[in-house]
Amino acid sequence: MKWIYRIVSLLVAAVFLLPILWMLTVSVKEEGMPIVTVLDWVKPPYSLAVYGEVLQATKLPLWVWNSFFIAVCVTALTIVIAAMAGFALSKIKFRMKAAVFFAVLAGLLIPGEAILIPLYQVAKDMGLLNTYLGLILPSLASPIAIIVLKSFFDGVPNDLLESVQIDGGGNWRIFFSIMLPLTRPAVASMAILTFIGSWNNFLWPFMSVTDDNLFTLPMGIPTLMSQYTVDYVKPMVINTISSLPIFLLFLVFEKQIIKGVSLSGIKG
Amino acid sequence: MAIGPGAKAELAPAGAKRKRRWAGAQAFVFLAPFFAVYVLFTIWPMLKGVQISFFKWTLIRKMEYVGLGNFSKLMQDAEFWASVWHSTIFVLLTTPLMLALSLGLALIANRHSRLRKLYRISFFMPSVMSVAVASFLGLFIFQPYTGLLNSLLHLVRLLPAEQEIFWLSEVSLSWIAITALTLWWTVGFNFVLYLSALQEMPEELYEAARLDGATNGQIFRRITLPLLAPITRMIMMLQIIASFKVFLQIYIMTGGGPLDKTRPVIQYIWQTGFRQNDLGYASAMSYVLFFILLALSALQYGFNRRKEAD
Repeated sequence: MKWIYRIVSLLVAAVFLLPILWMLTVSVKEEGMPIVTVLDWVKPPYSLAVYGEVLQATKLPLWVWNSFFIAVCVTALTIVIAAMAGFALSKIKFRMKAAVFFAVLAGLLIPGEAILIPLYQVAKDMGLLNTYLGLILPSLASPIAIIVLKSFFDGVPNDLLESVQIDGGGNWRIFFSIMLPLTRPAVASMAILTFIGSWNNFLWPFMSVTDDNLFTLPMGIPTLMSQYTVDYVKPMVINTISSLPIFLLFLVFEKQIIKGVSLSGIKG
Repeated sequence: MAIGPGAKAELAPAGAKRKRRWAGAQAFVFLAPFFAVYVLFTIWPMLKGVQISFFKWTLIRKMEYVGLGNFSKLMQDAEFWASVWHSTIFVLLTTPLMLALSLGLALIANRHSRLRKLYRISFFMPSVMSVAVASFLGLFIFQPYTGLLNSLLHLVRLLPAEQEIFWLSEVSLSWIAITALTLWWTVGFNFVLYLSALQEMPEELYEAARLDGATNGQIFRRITLPLLAPITRMIMMLQIIASFKVFLQIYIMTGGGPLDKTRPVIQYIWQTGFRQNDLGYASAMSYVLFFILLALSALQYGFNRRKEAD
């Protein structure tokens, strides 16, 4: 019984890894080889020629960079902005706090997808179409990050903050030297989710950018795929190049990423 | 004034007032960056959308006021409602399967085994892929003649050598393919949520149940499942709302076809706005989408409130 369970588990894991392994093996095959059965995909001859070709002849490396650059900017700015607002809502006393908090909560109900069409017009009026700024700025307001971070900030005891105040430290010092370090797991978890969200963001870049020097991966990949003819080698090379950086990041930070995702569920 | 009864409470009342104002100014500084982007890129487009939806509004911005014209057109637009229905089908297909699959995977990875890390990695790895990569893998896997799935079926003789399954050119098979790809690509997040919930289960409860002679099946039904109920509700609602916004994997795998029979509502809105150059009508449709998602959120809120009151 235990063995059956183990074999079934391993089979399931194999099914999950299979498409990825298929992608990797096909990507190192020589182009134009006949594929009659599944086994032909794993058989030699192997070649990395297509990698060189794709890296040199297409803008894929630039798009990988764009995706990273935008995701890093969006993540850093979103977290700083949300943490600042969460801190104010959690630890600073001011008038109309309830109303401000309500305004943030209301943002949860506005799905990004439903405002894309008018957002296009707004961005156009502001001259943000086809710019990095236009790809970054509209993604920065994240009510959910504020609410999650605020709930973690609420858990930081006020005595700690008072001791900083006695030393003459202001809100900025409290924010940077107490709040952020003490809630690092929560901050990291929101950062991971924001990064993956930005990495996968498709609709907004798709609408707002036409200059292929500004493409991100989700937009760029389809434009390359329409050109393949012979077999899957080139598409799989494109897929692999697009995925390797994020796979490596995942394998290195696996523990933290899994923990970050599970943390987001606790307060969510 | 920050943080409770402060160290400087001995200050005069006039000072206290000044301090309150100072705290207000500080709060403003901390909140300003968020509200700047929030108002510019969320609130303002929302209001702008109302205006646009009352006009015949094209990409090059030739406008003509049409009042509620776009909305009355929408009520009679069978293609629009069909696309809303397709998104609904997708929600109905993926949500229950997602719950079952993510829980099943979590149970596998929760066993004390040296392979735990392998399971965690293999179940979560697809989730870090870009949506475009995952969708194209889906397209290639379900391709007839050259696709991975048909080739595997040929290999194990489940499918006769001269026969092919055209996964992406028949409506019901397309839904199977789209659902399978989506589950594979996105199950990782929910799997992790279930896994961490399982790892927080009180071990004593299980031991007590085992001492009383409960079978594994009984333990699962009577203890594990009820304890997982809150996380299950959360995953379910997040899943419903997220699935309703499906677009790219369907667009890449079937293009919304065959005969627009799998086209989701977001694709229809996008085509209307950017292919047919009708931002006004697309905005009006966006508002319907908005109210659908709003209703789903309200449902979730009410549901959670009632459950928590129990």
